[in-house]
Amino acid sequence: MFSRTLLRTINPLRISVRAQSSNALSKAALPFTYSPSGPSAVKYTTQHEWLAAHADGTAFLGITKYASDALGDATYVELPEKETQLEAGEAYGSVESVKSASEVYQPVAGEIIEANDKLESQPQLINSDPLGEGWIARIKIAEPDSLETQEGLLTLEQYERSLKEDE
Amino acid sequence: MSLFASRGLRLGLPLRLSLQCRRRLVQQTPFDLDEGEDEKYRSLNNMYVDMFTQKNGEKASANVGEARNPVNELDEVNQEIDQLYNVGYDSVTALELENLVKSEGRFVLQSLSTDPYYNLALEDYVFRHTPINDNFSSHRLLFYKNDNCVVIGKNQTVWKEVFLNNLVHRGYEFIRRLSGGGAVVHDLGNVNYSFITSRKEFDREFFNKLIVKWLTNKYPEMALHLNSRGDITLNGDKVSGSAFKIAKGKAYHHGTMLIHSNLQNFKGLLKPDHIDGLTWSCNSVDSVRSKVTNMSLKSAQEFIDTCVAGFQNHFPLVNNMIPVYYCDQSVAINDDIQNTMSKLKSDEWKYLSGPNFRVNIDEGNHDISVQKGIIVDSTIPSTVGMSFEDFAQDFPQLL
Repeated sequence: MFSRTLLRTINPLRISVRAQSSNALSKAALPFTYSPSGPSAVKYTTQHEWLAAHADGTAFLGITKYASDALGDATYVELPEKETQLEAGEAYGSVESVKSASEVYQPVAGEIIEANDKLESQPQLINSDPLGEGWIARIKIAEPDSLETQEGLLTLEQYERSLKEDE
Repeated sequence: MSLFASRGLRLGLPLRLSLQCRRRLVQQTPFDLDEGEDEKYRSLNNMYVDMFTQKNGEKASANVGEARNPVNELDEVNQEIDQLYNVGYDSVTALELENLVKSEGRFVLQSLSTDPYYNLALEDYVFRHTPINDNFSSHRLLFYKNDNCVVIGKNQTVWKEVFLNNLVHRGYEFIRRLSGGGAVVHDLGNVNYSFITSRKEFDREFFNKLIVKWLTNKYPEMALHLNSRGDITLNGDKVSGSAFKIAKGKAYHHGTMLIHSNLQNFKGLLKPDHIDGLTWSCNSVDSVRSKVTNMSLKSAQEFIDTCVAGFQNHFPLVNNMIPVYYCDQSVAINDDIQNTMSKLKSDEWKYLSGPNFRVNIDEGNHDISVQKGIIVDSTIPSTVGMSFEDFAQDFPQLL
């Protein structure tokens, strides 16, 4: 509660800090540290989702800094159920913030093997560290070898460029 | 409105049945809501008729007596139905609806149905199928009124928000909607609007700012404002509540607008923040309790017309105006809409898929943990595995 109040009072500062921050994966959190050498690939979608794939064929999913800033303070995260099979583009959960339910989509086909239960009690992780502690789910990728060729997956540079074009 | 209304009678139902149908129909039609006991509705009815009467007047002559020269009673019934349903509305067929929704372009859609399941499913259908591209030009504005119901946000806990028993006794349907936000009460004195736009353009306050501008231009004496939560207030009291949904590159903002709702009847439907004897531990979305009031407008249609004119001015067309279409539930329906209606009506959606929670019941000091509507941990071991919906039946303080 204290931190939320604090954030509100330093709101102008927060906005300027966020404007400078990038949509790169946080190096200190599980989506990065899951493999000792880090993820084998990090991809983005135009729907403002990210995916961090690891050598074991699984990937962490979440929403980008840009998306979490646009949504505002998250109040509830609807998490997916384990063992759900989903196609690329299907919704696997939603983030509610300021009366808005925003769906989140799978960048690639796969099976949910884990959801970030921390978000149940700490939905604000979506805002404070969307590309790290605020990861939403981990999936087993259906076709891990096709990540580089699959349509609609962007590199960080391509994603950042698409954001600039939208402005 | 049910299917038999427009089709069944023509297929030649037995005469007696068709006459019973006629009586029921007359009672169900939106043009004769309460048998004329209330002046408000009568003037509303007259206004509808005036507004949508075709220039030649023949078809919309609502007075059955004048046009009476039927061959037999069945013809008479059919004639009456024609007059009730074809009063000059540009009511779309299922195919026209599909083409409209899936093609680019802006339009206004007003539902003639007061079935909350149909209206929410129609809204979802339009939203899902609105085309999205870089130069988004498919803004849509929907209006609908719902029969008595209490609607909660998709991430709320029904037993925490709503006096379910009171709803049942007083004839209010319980609905869990597809968007976020808090709990609201609907009746026919409330009109719902829904503005569909692209995710890129989406701004929570955008449409309510426009509504306030349009209404203030027309009624300068009204003290309308947006509060800090983006809700519209009149003299400081809330007249409108909002909720939003973002999906697939699009977003909608839908809201209620209290025109002549029976606010006295709203009491005892939504639960207060705290009820003695119950302690909830949950992360679901809380409702913000607000004092509400009605807009001082003559009718819901007055509000709708003001918004439609404002919308048409805001998005001007070169040679024309943004078209207004009407949806009749018995005609403008398809599998997509029907499937969403079934989902919204199902126990699975209403009671078995909301946020997880824990509740402590003082009486007997019971502690119950619930995931997806099913009790997973309980101080009453025999209740583990039971649905909370069933469990609550034995604890009236939960309902």
